[in-house]
Amino acid sequence: MLRIVTFVLLVLLTSSWPVFAADDFAGRVKNVQGSVSVKRQGMMLPAERGMKIHVNDVISTGKDGAVGIILQDNTIFSLGPESELELKEFVFAPDTGRFSMLAKMIKGTFVYMSGLIGKLSPGSTTIETPVGTIAIRGTRFAAKIVEN
Amino acid sequence: MKGVVIHALCLMLLLMLTACSSQKNMFVLLPDQDGNVGSIEVTNEQGSQVADQAGEAVAVAGRNGKPQAAPPMSEEEIRATFGAALAVEPSPPKSFLLYFKTDSFDLTNGSAALMQPILDTIHETESQDISVIGHTDTAGSAEHNFTLSTKRAEHVRDLLVERGVDPAIIKVTSHGEGNLLVPTADNVKEPLNRRVEVIIR
Repeated sequence: MLRIVTFVLLVLLTSSWPVFAADDFAGRVKNVQGSVSVKRQGMMLPAERGMKIHVNDVISTGKDGAVGIILQDNTIFSLGPESELELKEFVFAPDTGRFSMLAKMIKGTFVYMSGLIGKLSPGSTTIETPVGTIAIRGTRFAAKIVEN
Repeated sequence: MKGVVIHALCLMLLLMLTACSSQKNMFVLLPDQDGNVGSIEVTNEQGSQVADQAGEAVAVAGRNGKPQAAPPMSEEEIRATFGAALAVEPSPPKSFLLYFKTDSFDLTNGSAALMQPILDTIHETESQDISVIGHTDTAGSAEHNFTLSTKRAEHVRDLLVERGVDPAIIKVTSHGEGNLLVPTADNVKEPLNRRVEVIIR
């Protein structure tokens, strides 16, 4: 009996995944130049204008690539060539007072512009890089990350 | 002749400087489109460094390097290093506020006149990402406010769709009283807060 219950629970949990995934919508690609791809659940998808960006997506650009992304809270990420960004967390729910944005600048060049999360909940935004963490107070900055 | 030599020396110096800075991880504070400047603080196990002036830079040699203040970057240097990212940087989203006649779905006259500018902006920016957000004030029953503001937002979505905007690019949400335009205490009637916001990204 316990086994059956466990099985049913597992099926329910697994089948509810797409619902969570749909909730992970975080933003959209606004500008694309050259080769840009989005790694999602192990698959590489070519980025195009208007494409949806979800939590856990890794956005990367080729030698000739560059991309501009706007999240639902108006946070803006722009990536230059040979760059890689992972969106690790994004929660923007002013009605229930829940906010968080965690992104990792893995390598390359970036321009970041903070959005409403930065305004409504200062301190809920974190940018990680291989060489340190960036705390942001309502602002725009550029970063260059070289791998070492 | 002398001029050529000086030029060549300058060029070499510039190349050397660029080569130096290209080896380091750099963080540079920029003004936003309205000229506002905030601050960033770069922290790792070795320490932390703040930048709070436009152009001010923080350099980090590597994982085990201490974040350090670096010479401010000129506009030319910023363009040379971040030009490609800056070239695709999207313009900040545009936001419109719509108001309604008391307890109704009718836009005020001033707000009705904004429908055309909203449509123009959607076309000009070739937007594929529009949020229609209901906001409430902090007065009265939260539930009533929430329902009314959501319904008003849905009504605005319908108005946009009727005028040819693709429903697939519109997301309707409510921020309830979590994103006040005019900050107030709880239980305060504030007509300016009871609005529908259209954000065009």
